[in-house]
Amino acid sequence: MIAVTALQKRYGSRTVLSDVHAEFPKGRLTSLIGPNGAGKSTLLMLIARLLEPTRGTILMDGADIARIPVGDYARCVATLRQRPDFNLRLTVEELVSFGRFPYSRGRLTAADRRAVDGAIAFLSLEPLRGALIDELSGGQRQMAFLAMTIAQETGCLLLDEPLNNLDMKHAVQIMQALRMLCDTLDRTVIAVIHDINFAANYSDHIVAMKDGAVHSAGPVPAVVTEEGLRDLYDLDFEILQRQRGCLCNYFTPQGET
Amino acid sequence: MSGRAGLLAFWTGLAAMAAAFLLFDSGLDFNYIIPRRLAKLAAMVIGGIAVGLSSIVFQTLAGNRVLTPAVMGYEAVYLLLQSLLVLMLGTSSLVLLGDYGNFLVSILLMLAYSLAVHRWLFSDRQADIGYPLLIGLVLTLIIGTFTQFVQLRISPGEFAIFQGFALVSFDRVEWGRILWSGGLVAAVCVAGRPSLPVLDVLALGRDQAVSLGVDHHRHVRFLLALVAVLVAVSTSLIGPTAFMGIFVANLAYACARSGRHRLTLPLGCAIAVGMFLAAQLAVEHVFNYRTTVGILINLVCGAWFLALTLRFRDIA
Amino acid sequence: MSRAGLPLLFAALCVVSLTVGVNRLSLAQLASFSDAAWLTLTASRLPRLAALVLTGVGLAVCGVILQHVVRNRFVEPATTGGLEAAKLGILISLSVSPAGGAAVRMALALAFCLVASLVYVAIIARLRLRNTILVPVIGLMYGSVLGALAEFYAYGRNMLQSMQGWLLGDFSKIVQGNYEIVWLILPVVGAAYLFAHRFTVLGMGSDMATSLGISYRAMVTLGLLLVSTTVAATVVAVGAIPFVGLVVPNVVALRQGDNLARTLPSVALGGASLVLACDILGRLLIYPFEVPIGLTMGGIGGLLFLLLIVRSGR
Repeated sequence: MIAVTALQKRYGSRTVLSDVHAEFPKGRLTSLIGPNGAGKSTLLMLIARLLEPTRGTILMDGADIARIPVGDYARCVATLRQRPDFNLRLTVEELVSFGRFPYSRGRLTAADRRAVDGAIAFLSLEPLRGALIDELSGGQRQMAFLAMTIAQETGCLLLDEPLNNLDMKHAVQIMQALRMLCDTLDRTVIAVIHDINFAANYSDHIVAMKDGAVHSAGPVPAVVTEEGLRDLYDLDFEILQRQRGCLCNYFTPQGET
Repeated sequence: MSGRAGLLAFWTGLAAMAAAFLLFDSGLDFNYIIPRRLAKLAAMVIGGIAVGLSSIVFQTLAGNRVLTPAVMGYEAVYLLLQSLLVLMLGTSSLVLLGDYGNFLVSILLMLAYSLAVHRWLFSDRQADIGYPLLIGLVLTLIIGTFTQFVQLRISPGEFAIFQGFALVSFDRVEWGRILWSGGLVAAVCVAGRPSLPVLDVLALGRDQAVSLGVDHHRHVRFLLALVAVLVAVSTSLIGPTAFMGIFVANLAYACARSGRHRLTLPLGCAIAVGMFLAAQLAVEHVFNYRTTVGILINLVCGAWFLALTLRFRDIA
Repeated sequence: MSRAGLPLLFAALCVVSLTVGVNRLSLAQLASFSDAAWLTLTASRLPRLAALVLTGVGLAVCGVILQHVVRNRFVEPATTGGLEAAKLGILISLSVSPAGGAAVRMALALAFCLVASLVYVAIIARLRLRNTILVPVIGLMYGSVLGALAEFYAYGRNMLQSMQGWLLGDFSKIVQGNYEIVWLILPVVGAAYLFAHRFTVLGMGSDMATSLGISYRAMVTLGLLLVSTTVAATVVAVGAIPFVGLVVPNVVALRQGDNLARTLPSVALGGASLVLACDILGRLLIYPFEVPIGLTMGGIGGLLFLLLIVRSGR
C-alpha cells in the first residue's frame, strides 16, 4: 500500500501540490481523476520518483521511498508515461525484454524469457511479437509498452494518461488488461484517467484532485456521485446505473455551467 | 515605452548615430573622408533596407519566424558562385565579368534558386516547415565545405578577394555600385507597394488567404522574386548577413507590437540600418579593425537567437 | 546487405586503402616485403588505415549515442555544435600554448566539446518542441554561433585562412608518430558496447530509463563524455569530418532496428567502410593530389543526409 503524507510540490512561487494526503490500497486499481491542472500527473510523478517533493513523505508498505536505491525501486514500481515520440525501431519482443533490465541488465536468463513470454501472452500480443513498434498503430504500441511494464514484474504499476489518443477499442482493451492485472496477478495499479466513465467502471478506488489538493477519495461509489462530480468538474452530472456498469452523462448539462 | 514617443526616440537615435558616424573624428574633411563615409552610409542604408524587407516578407510568406532567405541557402548559393569564379578565373574574375556582369549573374542565379525554393516551400502538400529549414541549413553546410576547399586552393591574394565577398564589409563600395543597388531596391519597393495589404492577408496562412479570395500562388511567386532581387543586392553590395535577418525581423515584430506590414517593414529596415551603423562604429572605434562587421553581427545575432530559443519554451 | 556482406566489404576496402597512394603499391610488392614497400607501409599506409578505421568507427558510434541521448534521428557531432566547439578549443589552445603539443590540444578540445554538448542537451530538454525536426536545426544554428565565435577569435589574430586548413578533415597528415591519439577511440567504443543496452533505454526517454532503474543523468553525462573524447581525438589528429555519425546509424537503423547491443557492430563497420570509401575516392579523384576527407565527406555525406531528410519527410 502506498501512503502519501503532507505532500507538497512547489516550483518557485507556483504551488502545484499543497498538503496532499492519500492512500492507494494494495492489489487494487486506483484512478486519479480531476480537471486539468489539478496536479494528478505531478502526484503520479512524485510516486514514480521522477520528481522530488518540496515537502512530505511517500511510504510504500511502510518504507520511505526516498531511501530506496534507484535499482531496487525499479523492481517495486514501473511507470508508463505518455508514448515517446521518438519511436525506436525495436520489435515488440525486444521492447518487452527491456522490461527485465532491472533484473538482468541486458543479459536474459531463462526466468527472464519466461517473464517476457508471460507478459506478451497476457496481453495477447503473440501475433505481433516480431513486428517493429514504430510500424504499429498507436493502440498496439501502447499495448506493447504496457507489456514491457508487466514484464518488469513490479508490485506496483503507475500509468500517466494511458488512454490518450487511443481509439475506443484499444482504450477498452487497456482498461480490461489493467483490471486483469489486479484481479489475477494481484498488482497495484494507479492510473491518471481523464475519462470519468472508464475510471468509474474499472477502478476499485478513486482519488479525485482539484487545484493541487485532494478533493475526495474512497471506493468508487463514494466518489462517483452527482454532487461530488459536479463540485469536482464544475459540470452538471447525471449518473445512470445500469446492469453493465454506470454511465456518467455530462454531455448535456442542464441549466448553467 | 509608449508607442509614438518610443518610435520617435528610435528614429532620432538612428539619425544621431548616422551623424556621429559621418562627422566624428573626421576633421570635417569634405574632400575625402566625408564623401567616403557618405558612400559607406549609403551602402548601409541600401543594404539595411534590402535585408529588412527581404527577411520580413520571406517570413510572412513562409509562415514562420525562424526562416529567412539567408538560412534557406540563398547566400550560400551566392558564395558558391563567387568561389567558383575565383577558383576558375583567379584574380582576373574581377576584370572579366566586371562589376555589373557579376551582379547580373548573381541576380539571375538568385531568381533561379528562388523558383526552386518556391516549389519546396509551397508545394501542394501541407509540408512541415521544419524540413525546408533543415534542408536549407544542410545545403549551406555542404556548400560551405566546398567554399572552404576553394579557400585552401587559392593564393593569399585571391583569398583576400574572396574574403571581400565572404564577409560583410562596407569598405569596398563605390558610387557606381551604390547607385545601381539603390535603383534596384527602389524599383522593388515601388513594385511591391501595392502588395502591402495582400501581405497582411498572406500572413494568415494559405488556407485563410485563399478563403479570403487572394491568389496565393501568384502573389507568393511574385513576392519571392522580389525577395530574390533584394537578397542579390544585399549580398553582392555588402556580403552575406546570415542570422541578421532573423534578428531584425523578430525585433521589428516586438517593437511594432503588431503584425501589420505597414508598421513592421519600415521598422525592420531601420533596425537593420541601425545594426550596421552600430557594428561599423564598433569595428572602427572599439575593436580598431581587429574584427569585421560581418563577424560581429553574426556573433551577436546568433547568440541573441539562441537566447531567444531558450526563452520561448514552445517553438512551432 | 547480408550479414556477411558488410565485413567483406570492409575487408576489401582496407586492402584497397593500403594499395592506393602516391607510391603505387601493388599487392605483389606488398607480398614481397621489399624495404621501400615496408617503409611506406609502416610509416604511412598502416597508420593511415588505422586512423581511417578508428575515425569511422568512432564517429559512427558517437552519432548513435547522441541520437539516443537527444532522442532525435538527425543529431551527430556536426549538428549539435560539438564539432565547432572542438575546433574552437583547438584554436584557443594553439594561440594560448602553441608549443603544447597534441595532449594540450586534445584536452582543450575535449573540454569545449563536452561543455558545448551538455549545454545543447540542456537547451533541447528545456524546449517543448512540438516539431522535432527543429532539434538538428537548433544544433546547426548553435554550431554556427560557435563557428562565428571561432571566426571572431581567428580573424583578430590573423589565423583565419590557416585555421580553415588545420581544421578541415584531412588524412594526408597521418604519419607514424603523429596520429596515435586516435587510438583513444578504442576504449570509447568498448565502453559504448558495454553500455549498449543502457543507451538503447536512454532512447526511450528519461521517464522510462528511471522506471527501469537507470540513472538518467549519469548515463547522459557518460554518453556525452564518450562522444566528446572521440570528437576531440578525431579533430586533433585528422580534422573535422561531418555527417558520418548521422548517415551510418540511420541507414543501419532502417535495416536492422535500434537494439544497440545487436546493431553496434554494423554501425561500427559501416562507419569505417564509409570513411574508407570516401578516402579512397579522395585519393583517386585528382590523383596524385588528394581531396581532403572533410570535403568528400561533406559533399557525399551531406547529399546522403539530404536524401534521408527528404525520405523521412515523405
